[in-house]
Amino acid sequence: MKLKLYADRMSQPSRAVLIFCRVNGIDFEEVKVDISKRQQLTPEFAEINPMKKVPAIVDGRFKLFESHAILQYLASAFPGVADHWYPADLFKRAKINSVLDWHHSNLRRGAAPLVLNKALAPALGLPLNPKAAAEAEIILSASLAKIESFWLKGNGRFLLGSLQPSIADLSLVCEIMQLEVLDDEVRARILGPHKKVIKWIDDTRNATQPHFDEMHAILFKAKEKLLKMHSDAGSDQTESSRKPALPSKI
Amino acid sequence: MKLKLFVHRLSQPSRAVLIFCKLNKIEFEEVQIDLSKGEHLSPEFKEINPMQKVPAMEVDEGFKLFESHAILRFLACASPGVADHWYPADLFKRAEINSVLDWHHANLRHGSAGLVFHSKLAPLFGLPSDVQAAADCEKVLSASLAKIESFWLKEEGQFLLGNSKPSIADLSLVCETMQLEALDEKVRQRLLDPHEKVRKWMDDTRNAMQPYFGEIHGVLFQLKDKLKEMESDE
Repeated sequence: MKLKLYADRMSQPSRAVLIFCRVNGIDFEEVKVDISKRQQLTPEFAEINPMKKVPAIVDGRFKLFESHAILQYLASAFPGVADHWYPADLFKRAKINSVLDWHHSNLRRGAAPLVLNKALAPALGLPLNPKAAAEAEIILSASLAKIESFWLKGNGRFLLGSLQPSIADLSLVCEIMQLEVLDDEVRARILGPHKKVIKWIDDTRNATQPHFDEMHAILFKAKEKLLKMHSDAGSDQTESSRKPALPSKI
Repeated sequence: MKLKLFVHRLSQPSRAVLIFCKLNKIEFEEVQIDLSKGEHLSPEFKEINPMQKVPAMEVDEGFKLFESHAILRFLACASPGVADHWYPADLFKRAEINSVLDWHHANLRHGSAGLVFHSKLAPLFGLPSDVQAAADCEKVLSASLAKIESFWLKEEGQFLLGNSKPSIADLSLVCETMQLEALDEKVRQRLLDPHEKVRKWMDDTRNAMQPYFGEIHGVLFQLKDKLKEMESDE
């Protein structure tokens, strides 16, 4: 029986699992759970994941949610997944676990609420919340600084000085990609100071093509839609936001 | 494997790691990092953990690790003699434990630690109590306790996920709930009374981990007394 992956490509952790499966040739059925249509709140989906969140997987009778647990399970349970994704070496594995843990209260806790409260909320029928966005931006900036100064130390192109990407790179880069829906000027302000982070995002993307771009296509469509909404509303667009300092990955 | 643990017994995740090592007879040197004295902010400790948090560990004066869940997983796998139920080799069971540990960060941990900090501990650190933040965290905490009651604890088995023996997930989450002892008794009761299974699970986990559980939590009860004194002095 084929692995079922319940996902919304607008969800950062969903994309990480989708890309991982594709890159590793894991056979699966993608079941779309459209958050903008509140499909995660249906009783049917509650049977799959009582926390009503994506991603979730069903592998035979086995159900699992939380993207990091899913990535760790898939890396261990499927033959043919290269060791660098989640090494068997306990020391390397422990370090990857520590990034994945750190992510929850740091990068995720900054990036996700910033994008939601500054841009995406209306698409989900919620109001924008500038105060929450400002608080989230502080956490995000501190987290990016920590990635720049600590997690990207070492010889390799990836987190923890690795020469090859791990599930940690995939999870964290997919989170940062959500910033694409912000104005280019805002995104440039937040990401601009962190040269190593910018390069690492590129390296991770290149290492997982063409699946990375395919899974992120929906995000760029959302960005275009939001830009159109802004200009239709006649809001004041400054020159600098039309000339991105940081080229967008369209 | 020469193990050093950098901990503070008032820190919930520090306690989980200490209890795990004592229960499994893992030898270690306990290096106390007093958070109330700002010792976690010293340049020396920054060498150990650049995130400046406890717990952290160092093995053989070379390998450093922080984040309590990563530490617990490492010690469970790397120490001989640790019984399988703590972090099973079975990939299905292990994955389920991983999902609780992940869920914990933004749910029980965020709610419980946030409520205790904003309503009780902030003044001890010379910060003002943030009533709104405490209220927000209490909502998250209540929802999390309800999810443990209705989903993570099953009909069969005394421990999370219906397991008949405790795992590192039980240890981590129960150490977190113990921090609620620092709250006013009536607040704590209001939060925990609706959840009979949660209270039983906390008891069962404590019992399964004695005498170390009681010993490691000693400072928390001292803090509780100190807070009561401070409040009656006012």
